[in-house]
Amino acid sequence: MREAFISGAAVTRWDYYENASCHQFGSQAVLQALRDAELRWQDVQAVFCGSVYQGTGSGHQAIREVGLTGIPIVNVENACSSAASAFMLAYQMVAAGVYDVALALGMEKMPRGPIPSTAFRDWELSLGFNLQPGNYALLTRKYMEKTGATERDFALVSVKNRANGVLNPNARFRKPVNVEEVMNSRIIAEPLRLLHCCPLADGAAAFIICNREKVKNASRAVRIASAVLTSACYGDEYPPGDLIGSVRFPSTENLVQLSARKAYEAAGVGPGEIDTIQVYDTVSPGELWDIEELGFCREGEAPGLLRDGAFNLSGKLPVNTDGGLLSRGHPLGASAGGQIFELAVQLRGEAGPRQVPNARVGLAHSMGAGPNSAVTILVK
Amino acid sequence: MSTTQKTAKPFAHGLLDMGGPGAEPRLLGNRCRGCGEVFFPRKTGGVCTHCQSEILEDIELSGHGTISTFTIVYQPPAGGFYKGAVPYAYGTVDLPEGVRVLTQFAEPFDRLALGGMAEMVIEKLSVDSEGNDLLTYRFRPAEEREGAR
Repeated sequence: MREAFISGAAVTRWDYYENASCHQFGSQAVLQALRDAELRWQDVQAVFCGSVYQGTGSGHQAIREVGLTGIPIVNVENACSSAASAFMLAYQMVAAGVYDVALALGMEKMPRGPIPSTAFRDWELSLGFNLQPGNYALLTRKYMEKTGATERDFALVSVKNRANGVLNPNARFRKPVNVEEVMNSRIIAEPLRLLHCCPLADGAAAFIICNREKVKNASRAVRIASAVLTSACYGDEYPPGDLIGSVRFPSTENLVQLSARKAYEAAGVGPGEIDTIQVYDTVSPGELWDIEELGFCREGEAPGLLRDGAFNLSGKLPVNTDGGLLSRGHPLGASAGGQIFELAVQLRGEAGPRQVPNARVGLAHSMGAGPNSAVTILVK
Repeated sequence: MSTTQKTAKPFAHGLLDMGGPGAEPRLLGNRCRGCGEVFFPRKTGGVCTHCQSEILEDIELSGHGTISTFTIVYQPPAGGFYKGAVPYAYGTVDLPEGVRVLTQFAEPFDRLALGGMAEMVIEKLSVDSEGNDLLTYRFRPAEEREGAR
């Protein structure tokens, strides 16, 4: 495998775009990333575009707003890991030497009104099992039982991430919240409350990925150390459906642990060498078990570390420095791109008031229906 | 003159046998003769997804088990697929056959506890477009919590 770099990165503001199509703001992210990489559109040899709800050929429609050069465009739907999956494919193609320059794009305009869900079987839909906060609540209850984590701990995650979001000009929510506001917000699915759950948003993230020869500005290029995607291992517990765990044959390493192990092996770095992480906070408790499953501490230790401030911007391991999904909002097919973008910004030292000092290695983790789990490790 | 007789029927096919006079309603599962794994709902592809053996036998499952997790939902999911009451409770119950079942829970919700026992009941979920009652299996939490012995 050859070295591959992010030479250009861009996101739109995470927001509701009432008057712009996904293809419009998606193409704007592409043009920004191209300018960031100091390359011309004619240099891009392939496009991998992640989205969930945008329909057939959505990447083609976005690229039609940029230019028609005959290059392959591959549309990638992989639920909340769509952008990370597109990123992985672009990375692998450049690392394998197939292309010198590839574009990874993630974009989403979330459907307004009822979302037709195809990730659940009909009987599950009839019984109301397609409520994601509900499914996370099932995991949360077990996590609390196993580790002693409390609702207050989960509130602290929301408070931390919303505080970080204040410092992120692209975040949808830039207003801080306090513990009482979180604990008093309405119950969605016990024990999860509104402010434990990420809001939705629209937006796009784009990355120019290239080999060393095509890097124009070496001081800003960020090396991709690994990009890994996994799906369920037998017996994994990731409700609903038949993914509620096996009594007889529970998994010994779940899909998140597997993706992390493979990403560390491929990158040649371990969790101890990583300076900042972007993890999957669709609901606040998810951030805690994600930190544990990615190997940054043992099971049950994350709540204590959180209380001690370890995951704050000034802590030992700053987590979700851009405010996470809880502040950015969750544009499904673009969300994982938002995480990777924040890592690139941090490693370039361009994060301004939320900069992690001397950030050199970063990790992003997303997961989604399927289930799937994607881990990306970047090194400056 | 044609009047439509309103009836009560299961909300979905293949999940449960409604029983009848003298016969208890039962959840329908299958068991792999290769590795012993048990499935609910039944695997219909003919393959055990644990060991890929192709010998699956149909079995009926016990109507009682242990609550392994639960939630009580106050905001129904988007999409309009769910037409039952709100709030509703759901989660998982581990049955003696060694299978975990995803289920709604019957009232009273304040008895729900991890490790608590629960018993299967048949209750009305909703009404279809022709006015027929749609019935579902649910598990009703028992008064005594097993883990509290």
